[in-house]
Amino acid sequence: MIINGVLIDDTFSEAFSMRATRIIITAINYKWARHAAETMTGFATSVIGCKVEAGIEKLIGNHETPDGRPGVSVLLFATDSKTLEKQLQTRIGQCVLTCPTTAVFSGMEGDPEKQIALGKNLRYFGDGHQNSKVIGGKRFWRIPVMDGEFLCEETTGYQSAIGGGNILVMARSISQALLACEAAIDSISMQPNIILPFPGGGVRSGSKVGSKYKFLNASTNHPFCPTLKGEPDSVLDKNIEAVMEIVIDGLTKEDVFNAMHLGIEAVCDLGKSQGIEKITGGNYGGKLGQHHFHLREIMHESYNRYI
Amino acid sequence: MRIDMRWLSEALNQSSSIKQVTNKTILLGRDSVPIGDLFNISDKNFSESVVLENSNNNMDYIGSHLQANLKIKVEGDSGHFTGSELAGGKLKIKGNTLNYTASNMKKGVIKVNGNCGDYAGGASVGRKKGMSGGTLVVHGNTGDFTGDLMRRGTIMVEGNIGDYCASRMIAGTITNLGTIGKQVGVGMRRGTLLLPHKPEDMSTGFRDCGRHNLGFLTLLLHELRRHEGRFQSLHPMRRRVQLYEGDMAVGGQAEMLIWIG
Repeated sequence: MIINGVLIDDTFSEAFSMRATRIIITAINYKWARHAAETMTGFATSVIGCKVEAGIEKLIGNHETPDGRPGVSVLLFATDSKTLEKQLQTRIGQCVLTCPTTAVFSGMEGDPEKQIALGKNLRYFGDGHQNSKVIGGKRFWRIPVMDGEFLCEETTGYQSAIGGGNILVMARSISQALLACEAAIDSISMQPNIILPFPGGGVRSGSKVGSKYKFLNASTNHPFCPTLKGEPDSVLDKNIEAVMEIVIDGLTKEDVFNAMHLGIEAVCDLGKSQGIEKITGGNYGGKLGQHHFHLREIMHESYNRYI
Repeated sequence: MRIDMRWLSEALNQSSSIKQVTNKTILLGRDSVPIGDLFNISDKNFSESVVLENSNNNMDYIGSHLQANLKIKVEGDSGHFTGSELAGGKLKIKGNTLNYTASNMKKGVIKVNGNCGDYAGGASVGRKKGMSGGTLVVHGNTGDFTGDLMRRGTIMVEGNIGDYCASRMIAGTITNLGTIGKQVGVGMRRGTLLLPHKPEDMSTGFRDCGRHNLGFLTLLLHELRRHEGRFQSLHPMRRRVQLYEGDMAVGGQAEMLIWIG
C-alpha cells in the first residue's frame, strides 16, 4: 500500500492492556491549572521507568468543570489499578495539592466497583482540620491550605484501556521526520480519550523487548537505528536517515485505531515529496501485547481515497 | 384523634394490592378500623405514585420509610413525623407539616410548600442521630431545633428558621434565605450552616475566621439550584462568605457561613 508516495508497511503495531483514569484539575485560570497538570504528568512517559503514563487530554472551559473554573483534563495509564492509584495519589499530593488555587475532581464516573482513591487518603494532610461534604451523592474533601482550601473529590473511576499503540515514521532527514511527526501529533491531539505520553508526543528512542544484558527488560530498537544500517538485522533502507515513533494511549481500541489513522493520514498528506519514505509499526512478534493494530487495515479507506 | 399513616408506605413498599390494603385495620383512637372504611382508594392512583387528597394535620407518619422510586403527593396538610426515616422515596406536601418532619430521614427528597414544625430533620426522641441523608426543601418556615442532631443531608428553608437551629448537629448542611432565631448552632460539632445574614443572637462558641472564597460553594449551589424555588435566584458562582467556626463549647469544627456581597 502506497499513499501519496509513502509506503505503508504490511505489519501491525502491538499494544497492551492497561488501566486508565481521568481527573479534572481546575484553578483560578488556565495558567495555574496547566502548571499543575504539566507537573503531575511530567516524568510519566513510560510504565517501564515511570510506572505510569500520563498526559493532558484537553483544556476544559468554565462551563464544563464542576466548580465553574478553567480546567485541564488529565489521563493516566498504568498496568494495574493498584499502581494507578498509588501513582495518582503521589502525583496529586506533590504536584496538584501544592499548586496555588487548584482543585481536583473525578473525570470518569466508572463502575461503582471500579473506583480508586483521589482525596480519600490525601485528606489526612489536613491533620484533623479537613472537612468532608457530600454533594449530589459524591463526597468531596476540603483540606485547609495556605491559600484557602484544597477541594478534592474522594474517588475517581477507572477502566480498562489500551497503551502503547504506535506508528514509526521513516524519513530522509531528521528535520523531515520531525515535521511529519509534528503534523501527526497536532492531528491526534485534537482527539478525546487519547494521550501521547512522550515529550511533545514523539519518541526518538524506540525500544525493543529485552536486551543482551540480563538486568535490562528493554533496550534500543537497534534494527531501526540509522547509524546501525550496516548491521545484518537492520530494517532501514539506505536513504533513511531518521525514524521517529509516536506512542498512543487510549481509553478504547477504537480511540487508538482512530488516532493511528489520523496520525498516518497527516504524515501521508506531507508525502514522499517532503522526504517521508515509509510508515511502519512496532511489531515485536506478539511478545509485547495482545492488541494488534494492522496499519493497512487502518488506512484502507484513505488508500481508496488517494487512488 | 390522630391517624397513623404508616400503612400507606408499607403498602407501597410491599407493592400490596388494593384488596390487601383495604382489608387491613388501623387504630383510630381505641378502635380498630378497616382502612377501606376510612379512605377511598382509587385503583388508578394506587401505584408507584400516590396522591393523597383531603389530608389534614391529624395524619402522622405520611411517607415514613418510603423507598426509592416511590412518590407520595399530599394535597393538604400533614401531621407529625412526615417523611420520617424516608428511605429514598419522594414526598411532596402542598400544605404545612407538624413536628419531626424528615426526622431520621435516610435518603430521598421531601418538599414542603408550607411551613414545618419543630425538629425538622431532627432526631426523634431517644435517637442519637437525626436526618442522615437526602434533602428537605421547605418553601415556608421551620420551627425550633431544625436539624437537631443531624448527621448528613441537606435542609433548605426559603423562609425563616426558629431558635436552636443546628443544635447538636453532627454533620450535613442547613441553609435558608430568611431570618434565623436564637442560639444558632449550640452544641454543633461539624457540618455547615449557610445563612444570608449574621444571626442577631449568635452563640459565643463561634469564632470569626475571616472572609473567604470557598470552592465547594459552587458545587453546593449547583445542587441547591436544582430544586425549584427561591434558591434558584442565587448566582451560581457566588462563593464569598464570612466564616465562623464552632461550637467551641463542645470542641466543634462546624462552620457558619454568612454570604457576603
